Amino acid sequence: MASTIIGAGITIEGEITTDDEVVVQGTIRGKLTAKDAVTVESGAVVEADIVGGPLAVAGSVTGNIHSSDRVDLQPGARVVGNVKATRVTIADGAQFKGNVDMDV
Amino acid sequence: MARTTTRNSSDEGEARIGSGARVHGRISGDGDLTVEGRVEGDIVLRGQLTVTDGGSVTAETVEAEEITVSGVLEGELRVQGPVRALAGSRVRGNVHGGNLALEEGAEFAGQVDFDFELPAELESAATGRPVSAQAAPGRR
Repeated sequence: MASTIIGAGITIEGEITTDDEVVVQGTIRGKLTAKDAVTVESGAVVEADIVGGPLAVAGSVTGNIHSSDRVDLQPGARVVGNVKATRVTIADGAQFKGNVDMDV
Repeated sequence: MARTTTRNSSDEGEARIGSGARVHGRISGDGDLTVEGRVEGDIVLRGQLTVTDGGSVTAETVEAEEITVSGVLEGELRVQGPVRALAGSRVRGNVHGGNLALEEGAEFAGQVDFDFELPAELESAATGRPVSAQAAPGRR
């Protein structure tokens, strides 16, 4: 598969652009743009704006999140920033500070 | 989201830049990295770097324990272990440390500087510098 995985020990400082799926277990500082699903796993640290398809967050995100589909903040997620998507869920146990824009 | 759970996140530091992905910036850290897409920026890795066929890395400096290239790699290469340029690969840059294995069909342009001690009389020929500048050859 052609998906992109940022492993737990890896840090990327800069811009990531991709047509396919991204799984983040490590650290990203900069900007992340994906056309497909983005998963920020538990333990991951993203200090970046994220633009993507369906977005699942269980780690830490500081930055604005914009999804063409849905955003799921899972238990353990810590998000500081604005979330824009047509569908948004925030699980019990997720920390969130920011605005939600459900694109209505 | 099933996608979150189908991945094995156990092995520390597995990383891959997929074929549709482009990274503009610096990549650093522990663990192995496979580049199937494009990376424009420096890579500093405690682990193995693999650039697959179709992948490309354009950097000023690439540091890794080992580097295996089937695609395109440009930059100053600093390695502890071997650099393997496989058939079909294009490597442009100087290689410091470690060693270099060029397979038939690989393109390579650059200077090679392995870490080993040369006898003093060969030192000047290898570096192109006069012997006097090497008066106190330090251990590198």
